[in-house]
Amino acid sequence: MQVLCCDDDFERWRAQARHLLMQQVAPHAVVWADQAQPQLFANAPNADEQPAIVPALPPPRVSAQLLGELETAAQYRTPGRWNLLYRVLWRVVEGERHAGLAGDEDGSELQRRIKAVRREAHHLHAFVRFHPLTDHPWLDYVAWHECAHDVLASASMHFAERLGRQRWLIVSSRDAVWYDGHELHYRRTCPGEWASLAARARDSGDPLWETYYSSIFNPARLNPEVMQGHMPLRFWAGLPEGHLIAGLISRARTGAQKHGQTEALAGKSGKVIRSLQQHSTANRKAP
Amino acid sequence: MELIEKLTVLADAAKYDASCASSGAPKRSSKGKDGIGSTNGMGICHSYTPDGRCVSLLKILLTNFCLYDCQYCINRRSSDVPRARFTPEEVVTLTLDFYQRNYVSGLFLSSGIIQSPDYTMEQLIRVAKVLREEHQFRGYIHLKTIPEADPALIAEAGRYADRLSVNIELPSAESLVRLAPEKELISITGAMGTIDSASQESRFDKRAPAFAPGGQSTQMIVGADASDDSRILRTAETLYGQYRLRRVYYSAFSPIPNSPSSVPFQAPPLMREHRLYQADFLLRGYGFKVNELIGAQGNLPLDIDPKLAWALANRDLFPVDLNLAEPQVIARIPGIGVRSAQRIVDLRRLKRIRFDDVVRLRCVIEKAKPFMITSDYHPQQASLESSVLRRQLSDQPAQMALWG
Repeated sequence: MQVLCCDDDFERWRAQARHLLMQQVAPHAVVWADQAQPQLFANAPNADEQPAIVPALPPPRVSAQLLGELETAAQYRTPGRWNLLYRVLWRVVEGERHAGLAGDEDGSELQRRIKAVRREAHHLHAFVRFHPLTDHPWLDYVAWHECAHDVLASASMHFAERLGRQRWLIVSSRDAVWYDGHELHYRRTCPGEWASLAARARDSGDPLWETYYSSIFNPARLNPEVMQGHMPLRFWAGLPEGHLIAGLISRARTGAQKHGQTEALAGKSGKVIRSLQQHSTANRKAP
Repeated sequence: MELIEKLTVLADAAKYDASCASSGAPKRSSKGKDGIGSTNGMGICHSYTPDGRCVSLLKILLTNFCLYDCQYCINRRSSDVPRARFTPEEVVTLTLDFYQRNYVSGLFLSSGIIQSPDYTMEQLIRVAKVLREEHQFRGYIHLKTIPEADPALIAEAGRYADRLSVNIELPSAESLVRLAPEKELISITGAMGTIDSASQESRFDKRAPAFAPGGQSTQMIVGADASDDSRILRTAETLYGQYRLRRVYYSAFSPIPNSPSSVPFQAPPLMREHRLYQADFLLRGYGFKVNELIGAQGNLPLDIDPKLAWALANRDLFPVDLNLAEPQVIARIPGIGVRSAQRIVDLRRLKRIRFDDVVRLRCVIEKAKPFMITSDYHPQQASLESSVLRRQLSDQPAQMALWG
């Protein structure tokens, strides 16, 4: 049994896997150790540098699509994540072309991980909340966001497309990414200075957004299960609107919310527009 | 009035429009450019409110002052609601601020009718024009089109907006006469036609400026009049066919404060709206015709989805052999969608399809089981009567009404 370590780095794993394929090492004869799952009998952490035992085959060729899928699935955080990837790769190289497809036992797991990673990238794009900084020398916006998978490096360029030349920083408890207006800088470990910048911005609310969120909600259609299905609880703490949710739900449930109007407007005096002339007067008075 | 008060009034006034989609726009990016905003065709839901609805755009009215007296609308002139009006500049600032904080992917702007349809439309266009030209905003813009406005204004709106929409409001012309006295079906469909021909023109003439590349949509209110689902779906099918609409939105009538006696006091079950969306999806994505899904009159069943209802009514077409059938036929099996059907076809090029393969594809296996054959499986339920099968497969009795 070979025990390898790729430090959760796809390029490193790829080089190791390539080497193993050329040596015809079957998936059951190799295991990748990772921090979450250290191997009890890890004897040779640098096994990838061991000399070849059998005559090497020519470098294997696989489709760009499979390689892309493996790279995406590699971002899925789970103990022993690299072993499945090698098994799929091995089987495809051996001629089992369906090993990466959803109908296959390994392929189904691979596709499940890909789907979860894409979903997490989508969560990043959806639920990051940028806080503006004024007069900061190298930053316009800062956000704190926790990803469940390693998508911060691969999915953050989305924000450069959104925000043009503005400079922004996204910080998590593990890694961080900073865009300086031209280039993306990824840090596997978030620098302390970045973390404290983000922590300061984290708790600042935004009355306008909170007002909008409460007002666009239709209490007559209360359906919190659907909301939570799309917006998992773990993100709520990072959203300025997160702290409003429980109150909106309970007031819609217990109050006499028989129609859709926001409670902020209930009981406020209204304005009936009685005729065309009266209307145009009202209109001129309107701000 | 303070901005925050206006926002309270004008977001509340806008919530009855169901659409919040930011999809269908061409790919745009601000990377390395002045200005902000991008679109990639997919759309993003940045938040969800506790009603389960997606928040994708800043959805507001420019004003809820309105000359019209549409009975189902909270902003009708006879309604006793607080009124407010944004300046176009206020909307621009709010949009840019919300966009940069990543709360939204753009703006969905609508308005009550003030002074005249043309004046109102000009105000809406002004917001979009300032966003696009002065701020180089490349995010999503959806403008509600005032049907009675000059076609030249509609043409101008389409140059700035990704999507235009004209609300059909009600499924029948008679209901429109009764409940929306100032609106006319002919001006609504006329505006849809104007949008459609302008968008066809820009599609076929590459030199012509882009026109509402995200297409047009509309909204129909369900349960404000007595129209049944058959009527609603037939109206939708006509609109899809005649004006190439991207989407028809169905909005269950939501009771409004101080409701007039011309509209119901109770909302229709939300499940009815859900079943209409499911049927609509079958029309757009699966090649179903309305006639296959529903008779000349009546409503969709609430206890089972429309595809299952169709399959139960057409048992002679089932069970379908997954190793032999065309992908379109596989996609008509309840519990198996278009994507799963494609995956089954991809997989069977490499191996025979077995029961476990279908399970692994995460199809709704309980629903699919009675209707499919694999190399190792033949349904025992194939001989069961449809009525028995229906009882087995109907959705759990869920909370159907809003209150009761």
